[in-house]
Amino acid sequence: MDPIAARALKRREFLSTAYCGFGGLAAAALEARIARGAGASPLRARAPHFEPPAKSVIFLFMSGGPSHVDTFDPKPLLTELNGQVRPAEFGEAKYQQIQQGAKLLASTRTFRKCGESGIEVSDLFPHLSRVVDEIAVVRSCFGERVVHSAAQYELFSGRVIPGAPSMGSWLAYGLGSESESLPAYIVHPDPKGALEGGQPMYANGFLPAVYQPTMLRAGSRPVRNLDLPAGVNPHTRRETIRLIQDLNGPTADLDPEFSARLGTYELAFRMQTEAPEVFDLSGETAETLQLYGVGQERTDDYARRCLLARRLVERGVRFQVVVSGGGPGNLQWDAHSDVNENHERMAGHTDQPVAALLSDLKRRGLLDQTLVLWGGEFGRSPEAQSGSGRDHHNLGFTMWLAGGGVQGGRVVGATDAIGLRAVERPCHFRDLHATILQQLGLDQELLTWPHQGRRERLTFLSGTPLDEIL
Amino acid sequence: MRWGACSRGVGFASWLVAALAMISHAAEDSAAPHWSLRPLRIAAPPTISPAEEPVRSPIDLWIRVRQVAEGLQPTSEADRQTLIRRVSLDLTGLLPSPEEVAAFCSDLAPEAYERLVERLLASPAYGEHWGQHWLDVVRYAETEGFEYDRHRPDAWRFRDYVVRSFNDDKPFDQFLREQLAGDELAGSWTTDATGAPQLTDVQRELLVAAGFHRLGAVRRNAGNPELAFSRHEVLTEMTDILGGAVLGLTVGCARCHDHKFDPISQADYYHLQAYLAAAHEYDCVLAPPAAQAQWKSLTEALNRHLAELRKAQGSTMGAPADELEGRIAEVQRLLPAPLPTLGSVRNLESDRTAVHILKRGQTELKGEQVGPRFLSLISTTDSTESLPPEIDHPRTRLADQILAPGNPLPARVLANRVWQWHFGAGLVRTPNDFGRNGQEPSHPELLDWLAGELVRGNWQLKPLHRLIVLSATYRQASGAADPRDPQNRWLARFPRRRLAAGELRDALLQVAGRLTIRVGGPSVMTPVEADQVALLYAPGQWVVHPDAAEHARRSIYLIAKRNLRLPFLETFDLPDAQLSCARREASTHALQSLELLNGSLANELAGELAHRLRAEIGSHGAVADESRFLDGRIDRAWRLTAGRPPTELEQRRSREFLSVQPLEEFCLALFNLNAFLYVE
Repeated sequence: MDPIAARALKRREFLSTAYCGFGGLAAAALEARIARGAGASPLRARAPHFEPPAKSVIFLFMSGGPSHVDTFDPKPLLTELNGQVRPAEFGEAKYQQIQQGAKLLASTRTFRKCGESGIEVSDLFPHLSRVVDEIAVVRSCFGERVVHSAAQYELFSGRVIPGAPSMGSWLAYGLGSESESLPAYIVHPDPKGALEGGQPMYANGFLPAVYQPTMLRAGSRPVRNLDLPAGVNPHTRRETIRLIQDLNGPTADLDPEFSARLGTYELAFRMQTEAPEVFDLSGETAETLQLYGVGQERTDDYARRCLLARRLVERGVRFQVVVSGGGPGNLQWDAHSDVNENHERMAGHTDQPVAALLSDLKRRGLLDQTLVLWGGEFGRSPEAQSGSGRDHHNLGFTMWLAGGGVQGGRVVGATDAIGLRAVERPCHFRDLHATILQQLGLDQELLTWPHQGRRERLTFLSGTPLDEIL
Repeated sequence: MRWGACSRGVGFASWLVAALAMISHAAEDSAAPHWSLRPLRIAAPPTISPAEEPVRSPIDLWIRVRQVAEGLQPTSEADRQTLIRRVSLDLTGLLPSPEEVAAFCSDLAPEAYERLVERLLASPAYGEHWGQHWLDVVRYAETEGFEYDRHRPDAWRFRDYVVRSFNDDKPFDQFLREQLAGDELAGSWTTDATGAPQLTDVQRELLVAAGFHRLGAVRRNAGNPELAFSRHEVLTEMTDILGGAVLGLTVGCARCHDHKFDPISQADYYHLQAYLAAAHEYDCVLAPPAAQAQWKSLTEALNRHLAELRKAQGSTMGAPADELEGRIAEVQRLLPAPLPTLGSVRNLESDRTAVHILKRGQTELKGEQVGPRFLSLISTTDSTESLPPEIDHPRTRLADQILAPGNPLPARVLANRVWQWHFGAGLVRTPNDFGRNGQEPSHPELLDWLAGELVRGNWQLKPLHRLIVLSATYRQASGAADPRDPQNRWLARFPRRRLAAGELRDALLQVAGRLTIRVGGPSVMTPVEADQVALLYAPGQWVVHPDAAEHARRSIYLIAKRNLRLPFLETFDLPDAQLSCARREASTHALQSLELLNGSLANELAGELAHRLRAEIGSHGAVADESRFLDGRIDRAWRLTAGRPPTELEQRRSREFLSVQPLEEFCLALFNLNAFLYVE
């Protein structure tokens, strides 16, 4: 037999075992993959720059911008000054809509010191207040822009214009996927609709397409192209993949890229067979479903997505965004006209699932290795808009972190007495990015990609990690 | 580099740290001009001993000399079927048909290959393919990006202008000049009795060309306008693209501070920007004022109504919201089609932006006001003294400076791009950065020689293509990677490449017999999955073309929408059109395999290919007859996809598969072959 035919046969033997049977054969496939150096896959798990506390990130993205003064940053002086023009000593602020001379608006929420730490949380979050000792509240976040799209780009990529890679793509590039069968970076969009920043907000920018986000779709089979097309017999398809492998196999050694491509069919096949199971929540206990609020109208959607996020973390997915809010502004946290109506509704959808996610991760021992981040692209103005609403506000607002080596029960940073401006330990989006990279074991100066003459990085020039809470 | 554009509002402290870290680097060797700024040095090609041949073009001499020095042997010439597939895809982005391959393989005339090259260069598909390269560089898209991602319904005219310019082999200096200053070059025009503008074809072309300045993403403000800031964003975008795309210099770096690596001061940056200070968006509507007014009032009324409906929708949920969605769609359908418009720019002297040197690039920190002056590191007439800000035809002047004989950059940058688009990598591997931070050329003399040929040949590209594709270097087989030169810098084999996103889609349509060949015209929106549209902020923007044949047009005619890229193309590294893309990535990952195994495009076209094979080979007779045609269909399928007949082993394996499995699955497998996906 000529050598090419012999090799093809050998490969075919291997593939027939790898594809036609399961069970113990997964190990054989893995072994073969390693032996062949298909480790050339750009998504293989990569060692971090140093030993990190965290392996994964879940970003609970409250799109539209939740009001800090109605959630985690109580301002008694704002109550006192209700209805007055902002005193000059607080300085200037530019808003999207409201003009100079707008009147300050007191929060009508009730704040309570919660947990052992006594962190103040408003009555919008009764569930979260019970696990508040897990979270570290950053009251001094700020960004550069006061309109949604630019602020969203900055939140995700550190740049106020589209085109730079999002933090999820950077992590996928830096660390690859721990999972053999799932993408490294997954976005769970809100089924109510899109956000202003659109797809470019989550995208890989100038990084290769392998680091793109996988956008989950509503329904039981949320990953694109994971299902066989209608009418195709799975056995037939297995044979088709065998044929592809046999025909491509003999060229694999000609070029490392051919070898890598051969590996992608194995990974694709695994994704197809193993991933659907991940998206099936029916194996979860009734207690867990209830904990998250699955089955209750108000919380069902966000609960399902949070629960799925936990399942994906368990399987090694690196970065996930679970979006709350979508479609027209009022279906986001974008409370221009009535902050209470909007926030009671939005918090009503998310409070229980978010708290459940923290407790569930914790009891499974996953919270330590999962960094959870909560917040929007900005906060809301201390001034009123349209009576009882609030405008966008980027100069000072709140986000919180939990797990992944973050010390819970802490409050860091502060805004001034009316919540206008971050005055103590101002925390730029770049500082959040630096924190995330550090907690995942990546050196912000080493994680670079050459682009148009510069070694680009997520934190642009530099970010300062929030060491106060680590 | 987007340093400038990206650094808006960077904290001063962090800026200072980085600046200090970089200063030491910039200081070294600053006296001698950087290689790319020295005049072209056009040397005679080296000579080599006859033993070192084959030599078909002066290019081969430089390449060979270097290979000898590196101890590398060139690979032998590729066979004919490989060659015709390579050069067809390279010059036109389309596969040769099996008949074309057969004709070329049996044409034993010595100039058969030359004739093939001439045919391809004369094909309209050449401009479609090479035009796309340029559209990548100039960040071409037809929508404005950011949240509204508003469509510019006439933006396709710029794409057609580019395609036409390549097909006409318009001298590239003229091509650049038109894009930089087309509106100024167009002069004035009159109106007819109805008041509609009376433009010559040349004037139309020139106005469309100047649309170059408007291709970038634009942030449209809601609410407080921050006019000065928005204007600054636009000017920044316009200035930075000049650097990367035209000059091959990262001038954007100097927006906030003097350039860290190249002698470009912050003052240089703003002097350069001053050439653009009077330029504003201009839509030249090709309709009488009365028709425009009518269009405007109808559109505004409908938009007002839409805004009310959307407001109502925002405050309701559930069924009433869905009902409103239906009414919104209805009203949207009533919106009149846009009037034919030439998207351009024009100088508004009354609205000329006063350009100041901005401290740290921040609009509120205004320094000295400056007028136009060309980059001081390039020696031209304008590079020493600042011109008065109100100077006439500033962008014509800018084009003169850029294309001045004293500026070697545009020719070098362009020659390098052409090389890169043929070989996958440039002689300089940082095509948008010829500064100190970029890479040095692998073959400096060759680069200068090519740049010299370009200038000598009236800046036309087709002669340059001929020089390259007729060379022995280009005609080599691709072969196996050589560990001594894994990057293939010395080109001792032809660099294999994967089909680019659009090429792959076109090739699938082509082999399935479905590709609609039609040059030019408005862009097409194809059906996409509902969840893709749902991810748009304004889902109503996606209006699928009613004619299905349009959905099968070449990828260059699909709409370039910033916020919705076809997932198929995105997965195969379609650039995002947010920034200039000088070179496409070619990544390899499982989502690509899933796309080609389970994706709707691949499966639908596999069915079409099967249908085609049945129609072309064999009758539609009884099932028992089918096996008689099997070998013929296998042979045909391989020739269509891989451009060659199957080897004996491949034929046997194909037959074995088809004895049990359906033809559709076989066709799908062929779409996944390296022999189909790659250019050897």
